[in-house]
Amino acid sequence: MPIEIAMLFAWMLLIVFLALVACMFEDLESDVGSQSNPNSQVQLAPQVGQVHRFFNKAISGEAPAYALYCTVAGVIAWVLLSKGAHPIIAIPIGAVVGEAVHVIFSVTAHVGRTTAQKRFEQPIYLDVLYGHIMPIATHGFMATLCITAIAYIQSNLGTLSGNPGLDHPFALPMLAFIWGITVGAIGSSTGDIHYGTEREFQDRPFGEGKRVVYHGKITRYADCGVRTQKDIAAFCAKFGGPCTGLTFGVIILFENWRTLVGMQVARYLPNLEAAAGDSAAVIGIVVGLVIGVVMIVGNLVLVRWARKRYGTFVGE
Amino acid sequence: MTVGGGPVVEEEKAEGFTIPPDVKQLGIIAGVISSVILIFPGLPAVIKAVGLILALVWGMDSVRKTSKYGLGTGVPSIGVLAMGYGIVGALVGIALVSKVVSKVGDSVLAPAAALGGVLLMGVVGLVSGVLSNHEKIIGMKIPKLEQGMTELGMAGTLAMLLQFSIVAGSLEFGVVLDKAISNGLIAVMFILSCMAMFHPYNACLGPDERRPRTMIVSVEVSGLLCVILGIVVAAVATTTWGVSGVVDGVLLVIFGAVVWLVCFVKFVRMCFEEAYSTVGTGMIKTIE
Amino acid sequence: MDPILILVCVILGGVLASLGVHLLPVGGAPAAMGTATGVATGTVMLMFGAAMCGLFTASSVATFSDNILLVSLSGSVGSWLMMGVTMLVANVIYVFGTGIVPVSGRVDVDPITKEPQKAYKTPQCDGHGVPNVSYISGMVGALLGGFGGAIMYFGLLNYAHFEETMAGIAAMGIFVANAIIAAYNIGGTIEGFQDPKFKRLPKALVSCGVISLLCGVLVVLVVNLGGLTG
Repeated sequence: MPIEIAMLFAWMLLIVFLALVACMFEDLESDVGSQSNPNSQVQLAPQVGQVHRFFNKAISGEAPAYALYCTVAGVIAWVLLSKGAHPIIAIPIGAVVGEAVHVIFSVTAHVGRTTAQKRFEQPIYLDVLYGHIMPIATHGFMATLCITAIAYIQSNLGTLSGNPGLDHPFALPMLAFIWGITVGAIGSSTGDIHYGTEREFQDRPFGEGKRVVYHGKITRYADCGVRTQKDIAAFCAKFGGPCTGLTFGVIILFENWRTLVGMQVARYLPNLEAAAGDSAAVIGIVVGLVIGVVMIVGNLVLVRWARKRYGTFVGE
Repeated sequence: MTVGGGPVVEEEKAEGFTIPPDVKQLGIIAGVISSVILIFPGLPAVIKAVGLILALVWGMDSVRKTSKYGLGTGVPSIGVLAMGYGIVGALVGIALVSKVVSKVGDSVLAPAAALGGVLLMGVVGLVSGVLSNHEKIIGMKIPKLEQGMTELGMAGTLAMLLQFSIVAGSLEFGVVLDKAISNGLIAVMFILSCMAMFHPYNACLGPDERRPRTMIVSVEVSGLLCVILGIVVAAVATTTWGVSGVVDGVLLVIFGAVVWLVCFVKFVRMCFEEAYSTVGTGMIKTIE
Repeated sequence: MDPILILVCVILGGVLASLGVHLLPVGGAPAAMGTATGVATGTVMLMFGAAMCGLFTASSVATFSDNILLVSLSGSVGSWLMMGVTMLVANVIYVFGTGIVPVSGRVDVDPITKEPQKAYKTPQCDGHGVPNVSYISGMVGALLGGFGGAIMYFGLLNYAHFEETMAGIAAMGIFVANAIIAAYNIGGTIEGFQDPKFKRLPKALVSCGVISLLCGVLVVLVVNLGGLTG
């Protein structure tokens, strides 16, 4: 059965769109429930005498945590699909179960960490605990839903476009695991900078790195009153979140696009000619290398621009 | 993720047997009971789940023991290391079982060969502990790192093998491959076991951390794992116990849910009592 | 089934994993606060994420190509792209979101572009952002790490005759064990090949080689005992 090329590329573009949404919500969720690297400051604050009203969600780094929720969602979706449920029901139910696990882990993490800081007089604020569960669950649901949908489409890509030979060989839970780790690693590397450097230390001067003496002395007062995570997510949603989404979307775009372009140019499609396999791989590799070199040049230009425009450090 | 909080205090060794058991007693009890349960894959899933919970709590204890001295890269890494070894060890275990079965036929004690995988992985853990701690090589200089890594290798393998046995109903290579590995279930086993090992200590990290409280979280996460495994067993597996595995799976879900609920409520209540204070809302203070 | 080839693939994969970990610029928690140079995440998780991305592409290429070099290169280019985009967008956030110039804290002059670093650095910080030398070091590190992960996958798939998901998860398990031991060697953060900590590399290579050898022997044992044939 020949592959319909247009359907194949259409499903690929849908995956890219889902990836963009997934990583944006992943970053916002890790801002709503303070997780991973900037959380070290939230942990440090009571130790330097700054009692706070932040949600201290310390479930490891974002990569294993997202691997957990997405894999649980993937397994539940897989169980439902194997019983004959339609994907449009199976995937959201899986995501809901994944998010239930997420909320359970968040509660134990926040309560456990705050209790272990008894000597620094950090109380457990019940309104912080109850009030952040919903934002965490909803943001996380969006991310988990999109990742599970990506895993489903990829493990059935060939079937959806005409020939099951093009399905990804990994099983659905395994694909959800892989993308969960990747989305967590990316969200932790890009979006957390905006939260950690900019929003957590909002009352320090803009335009310089945050010095070691500032560590622990996070901004605890908001525009009006005491700050909680709900004030932070709204800020990071304007820069950090979309940038992170863009990162993952572009990565998925390059990954899938260069493989498909390689297959198309080498005439591997639409009938999956075995003889054209090697040249399809070669073209994919060359396209990827070229894109990487363009990015290295892009970084050179960016750093040079920043050095010229911002100039040397002024002040003491 | 890792923020030290004051000097490390050695815990007093309890005299005699205590509830919860102290570190050394827990290791021996968990190791022995899990190994014995492993040898009989025909047992109902609930009993295997008890062995699984013991193995995971043992792993959590080792993670806690080693991380107390500051690993430098965070608590999660050593938990993931344990389960990474667990996967390789479990594969060796089920391969050994298949070899024994093909040599001597289907004997009742054939699954005992899986313990060979556990021991081999303990050796690999010991080697990596020696390489990491020896000052001429990596030189982490963490006390008892070798013992910790050996225990982690063994606990990880035991946990993985017990989960294979729950989902696939037997420890033979072909059956496990078909029912637990090719359909991707091994991914959820891997990551939830990682979490059961490192999340408790990570979630309770701080100067006022108390071992009994941390252990409750470990049992709670294991209960959650049992619920997920029970759903899978009820839906797709065919164990030899009960009506095509559905009864087995449903019992496991109920067991896991009860364990989870009891431990979760107990932990949260304990934390509310032991925190500095638990208030509905309030202002914040700055302590100079 | 060829035991020597399996051992070579696993050992090469493990050693390249540790080499990749030493080349990736990782700043850890301080980098998320603009206090240290590098990507703001943990060493192991970043390498793991990059290798998983590469493994994904390598496994789909392995369905239509049998050439070990092509499959491994596809995996390495997959990781290379992931690190490239991640570090570039991280720099965009540093430059435009927080107003920081990317500079290194461990060297006074960038070894590749010869740009002076000290004058642009905030005092009391150990550098910030991802400067050019760290960027290139990171790309090369991801290239090698992805190659290692993909070649291990290929070896387990075609020489040990594992099934795809099993090969994927076994490769991942051995890869992550090597990355963690290598991360212990650098103690959490490193700036790239210009960092003085890079000189500790041989110790990690030896340790990871030994551990990969043991894991490779266990894999051969699995193939032998489990009766896996072509």
